[in-house]
Amino acid sequence: MRIAVCVKQVPNPDTPAAVFRVDETARELVLPPGQPLAMSPFDEQALEAALRIRDELGGTVGISALTLGPDASRSVLKHALAMGADEGVLLADPALLSGDSYATALALAAAVRKLGAVDLVLAGRQAADTDAGAVGIGMAELLGWTAVTFAKEVRVAGATARVTRVLDDGLETVEAPLPLVVTVSNELGAPRKPSLRETMRAARKPVAAWGAGELGLAAQRAGAAGARRVRERLFVPARESHCEFIAGATPQEQASALARCMRDAKLL
Amino acid sequence: MPKREIEGDWVMGWPDRRRATLIAGKDTQGRVINGRAPLVELEGLITPTDAYYVVNQLEVPEPVHPDDWTLSVYGEVERPAEFSLKELQKLPGRTVRAVTECAGNDAGFFDYMQKGGKKPSRINQQDMQARAAMREKSAVPSTEEISSESTTTCAVSAGEFTGVPLAEVLRKAGLKTRAASVRTEGFDRGRPDLAVQYRSVGRSDFKLVDPGVIHYDKGLPLAKALDPDTLLAWSMNGEYLTHIHGAPVRMIVPGWSGNWWVKWLHKLEIMDHVPQCYYQKHYFVYGNSPEDPNKEMITAMGVRCIILDPLDEDSPLERGTHKVRGLAWSGAGAIARVEVSVDGGSTWHDAHLEAPREKWLWLRWSYLWEADRPGRYRIMARATDAQGRHQPQIPWNYQRKHFDGIVPTDVTIA
Repeated sequence: MRIAVCVKQVPNPDTPAAVFRVDETARELVLPPGQPLAMSPFDEQALEAALRIRDELGGTVGISALTLGPDASRSVLKHALAMGADEGVLLADPALLSGDSYATALALAAAVRKLGAVDLVLAGRQAADTDAGAVGIGMAELLGWTAVTFAKEVRVAGATARVTRVLDDGLETVEAPLPLVVTVSNELGAPRKPSLRETMRAARKPVAAWGAGELGLAAQRAGAAGARRVRERLFVPARESHCEFIAGATPQEQASALARCMRDAKLL
Repeated sequence: MPKREIEGDWVMGWPDRRRATLIAGKDTQGRVINGRAPLVELEGLITPTDAYYVVNQLEVPEPVHPDDWTLSVYGEVERPAEFSLKELQKLPGRTVRAVTECAGNDAGFFDYMQKGGKKPSRINQQDMQARAAMREKSAVPSTEEISSESTTTCAVSAGEFTGVPLAEVLRKAGLKTRAASVRTEGFDRGRPDLAVQYRSVGRSDFKLVDPGVIHYDKGLPLAKALDPDTLLAWSMNGEYLTHIHGAPVRMIVPGWSGNWWVKWLHKLEIMDHVPQCYYQKHYFVYGNSPEDPNKEMITAMGVRCIILDPLDEDSPLERGTHKVRGLAWSGAGAIARVEVSVDGGSTWHDAHLEAPREKWLWLRWSYLWEADRPGRYRIMARATDAQGRHQPQIPWNYQRKHFDGIVPTDVTIA
């Protein structure tokens, strides 16, 4: 059995919001140099889900980690290999970059096809930076596979997967035949930390680098050229605040005036 | 508890051990404002700068460019002066290797030794709990579980500091005969967080003095100020001092607890008495209660000896020969002797003291323990310093400062 896990490099989610800048002209988010990058935590959980399947089913399960991003994304593949993935695939061809969710899903789906014999694709429920949550289900559509979202647990028995999904007000368990795309939610639990032994082994694991040509994607379909969504504006909304002094002759009066204000503002 | 597994990381592009990192607290800008040293993971005597413990009483100030920084020396001196960093660096320099220890380090052990209960741990508990949870495949610990663990350990580190002896600067300025102390002031400002003191005391049913917004300062008695190892340091562990450790220049007061090592130094006021600085009169004092009229300022640390291997968390251990290792240091100079007991203090054996043995630096000691028989064991270690002082020197005090008791490690041999 082969599992492909899609992982994305994002600014470390612990980075405080204050260090980000928005370039409104270029419509891009600017992170100052030297700020740490990390694997999107939902993707780390998707990889943990794959590793748990392998823990249960044994050595017949092969895990490939896929990433699309600049060359620096190689470090998230290294992290994935150190956590226990068997091989990495890096899609760092400049022609594939700067696309939208559609172009990214298209390239990743092509990579899954090129890997061949993939039974299960796991991805985080959304990337921790853009929060679009579209690439996983987009891949399912492009591959013509079933998509199951917001997984808390993924178990595989024979040619069927049993997935527990997180709903707003409870849990739902579904079964679907393989091949399948599952997006994984944080309710899965903490991902494992790489051991030193596995990290050392990871240095010898293969990492393939594929470009648009190898994926069979024509230039006009890949990356920025293939994007179907146009980012028209990126900005930090202006926030207005005003201060109101609550009057009252006694502390009790002030308190009840404050409570009234808060009720009016639907804060109570 | 499962055996601790070595974690891996990518260091300069190579697969390697995960390096020990500060257990840090950060502000909303992601800047470190406090941190505990990962003592258990550190092997050497010098704590790496990025793993060095950090404690601040007031707000961390904005950095000052070294070229814009000056040190004012005034008060009971013949020649009041301003020194730039370059001028200080022209004076005869000195390098000292010393332990920095927060006065409240291991404060939790005061309660444990008196009342029992849960023994404070030297391991990052959150980390260990997350690890345990992962093995159980259950969820991460709740906020309650984490906040119930109020860590007091690991606020101690050791470094190599280069600077100029304070005595040299005072000699240049010319001390008047009535000089009795040097008030060392940092350019950090803020209003003391009174909650810190309530937490330190463990109760809040008494009144605290609120001095408003102040600079951090301490009035160093002249004898210690003139000790040749008391430095104005601009370098730490071979590099220029980092901002969080008090750049451009901080005080190094070997043997005395961290609150004397004033960071971001900008003023030296020579006084004819020892001043009642806030952090000298109201906090960092010995006393029986907040109401005690005879509170005393804290100065030199006692005698410390800690076991870092094995830990309670390593239990159960296999039968065989085990190394018992740890660190020992003292506020009054070098360590002369370390003894180990594996029977709860009934019999004691001399431990091997590893070189180098320096005046202000801690030393590593080790002892080989033949553990042939299964059972529960209480391992203890105690130190004696060159002055003949042994443990404990410091009795219980209401702010729980300068703990130096003998803490046992409890393990089972399977």
